Amino acid sequence: MRHIIEVKNLKKSYKDVRAVKDISFYAEEGKLFAFLGPNGAGKSTTIDIICTFLRADEGEILVDGLVLGQQDDQIRRSIGAVFQDGLLDQLLTVEENLRVRGSLYGLRGEALSKAVAAALELVGLHALAKRPYGKLSGGQRRRCDIARALVHTPKILFLDEPTTGLDPQTRKAVWDTILTLQKERGMTVFLTTHYMEEAADADYVIVIDDGRIAAKGTPAELRENYASDCLLLSVRDREAVSARLAERQVLFTEVGGRLKIKLPDTKSALPLLRLCEDEIDSFEVLSGTMDDAFLGITGKEMRT
Amino acid sequence: MRAFCKRNLLVFFRDRLAIFFSLLSTFIIIGLYVLFLGDVWTSGFSEFGNMREVMDNWIMAGLLAVTSVTTTMGAFGVMIGDRSQKIMKDLYCSPISRTKLTGGYVLSAFLIGMCLTGVTLVLAQLYIVLYGGSWLSLTALVQVAGIVTLTTFSNTALVFFAVSFISSESAFSTMSTVIGTLIGFVTGIYLPIGSLPDAVQWVVKCFPPSHGAALLRRVMMAEPLERVAIPEEALPAIKETLGVEFYFGEQAMGVWPSLLILLCSGVLFFGLSIWSVNRKKKA
Repeated sequence: MRHIIEVKNLKKSYKDVRAVKDISFYAEEGKLFAFLGPNGAGKSTTIDIICTFLRADEGEILVDGLVLGQQDDQIRRSIGAVFQDGLLDQLLTVEENLRVRGSLYGLRGEALSKAVAAALELVGLHALAKRPYGKLSGGQRRRCDIARALVHTPKILFLDEPTTGLDPQTRKAVWDTILTLQKERGMTVFLTTHYMEEAADADYVIVIDDGRIAAKGTPAELRENYASDCLLLSVRDREAVSARLAERQVLFTEVGGRLKIKLPDTKSALPLLRLCEDEIDSFEVLSGTMDDAFLGITGKEMRT
Repeated sequence: MRAFCKRNLLVFFRDRLAIFFSLLSTFIIIGLYVLFLGDVWTSGFSEFGNMREVMDNWIMAGLLAVTSVTTTMGAFGVMIGDRSQKIMKDLYCSPISRTKLTGGYVLSAFLIGMCLTGVTLVLAQLYIVLYGGSWLSLTALVQVAGIVTLTTFSNTALVFFAVSFISSESAFSTMSTVIGTLIGFVTGIYLPIGSLPDAVQWVVKCFPPSHGAALLRRVMMAEPLERVAIPEEALPAIKETLGVEFYFGEQAMGVWPSLLILLCSGVLFFGLSIWSVNRKKKA
């Protein structure tokens, strides 16, 4: 698979704050690529640099084979970006906004009309084409932002926290739009998020914390390496069970009156269950989630 | 750049409030004039017969000069809005060079200034005719259009330089308010230049838009002045008082120096603005 984005030794500081400290990665063509990290980790800075908005202090970046800093104009034509806050004109209608931004890419007349109609179709905003952008709801606005990013049919779509601040249903709708674009159109999608379940849908995840890459891999790999499965037991005689477990050198902790045992995998719960079968009131086997993986990697709760 | 300029025009003209505020000084001047300034000045010169038409043309000439400043300034509100709402970010990530973006803002400000000053000119003519005056002749109209164009060019540069230091909406609206309030005095409209102290007269003469006002007065008042009975020897003094002709010492300035001042100030401030914008880019 071709590497559509290549980042090598990227560094960026704002005065004395070092936002991005030497990160390198690549993204494969046609994949959904997620940048996961707490607020202030350097995600947006990295996206802003790849989108040619900020200049990197150091590092080499190739976007679709084009060198950032030298072929910026061509890069701008092959990428589309959705930033955290909607950056369209509030007083103009959805259609006018798309026409205006489309014309910045040199689209004119018939070609422009077609591109706008196609972009509206993709995000399902046809019915609202004549409504001012400022009067749209949060989810509609976000879909309009995505349409704007798609108006010049880019190869790569960047989304900086596309679902932040949306209610759960809208979030799902926006997310489905993004997945459709990637799965059906074969578009490379690069997004930042701090929602675990979104990162879990990605093909490849990079966890970034404090300006550095803390971990990377597929969601499954991350779960496997950084999140552990566990067994929760409610027992009648706690003393007896703990003695049995201690005998077998099984480590456990007490959480909310239940015993929590870390497992290498879910299947290893079976012998333990058999061991304590007669004492068990109820039990629960949990497989590691992305949340656990994230906590395992960064060693801290999500910062908000 | 044309596409981007079109967008700026669209954004500006969609914002009714922005149009209203950029014309606010214009409305205030008209209001003051209709309510009492007009009568005060007209009766002040009553010894020469009915000066109403002369004074109507006098105020409207000044009004056009002021409108040309405040509307170009209002037009730059689009740029300030783009900066403060971070819309710049989206534009910077589009394949259009930053020079073209800046060019688009400047061009749209110029066009908005021309357009709104043009509308004001039509309304001013209607007002003058409504109060018993006569229409401008075609030659005068062409001259007025030329002067308005040159003044707007100079004002666009001047305002562009001023807003190049500003990036927040509140700073911009403060500046608009201050300039909108002062402009009527600095161009010698609320009070004719002749009734101002010497030092203030100098300020007026050094302010490029005043020269636009003076040129417009010269053209617009020429015919009405012929229709009133002002003795030949009193005319220069009246012209000086009303700011039709600026004097440096005993020397009348004439037309060409004023035109030159407008042109040079325009070029100079465009140069300074470009320097100011580039200075920021490096930081």
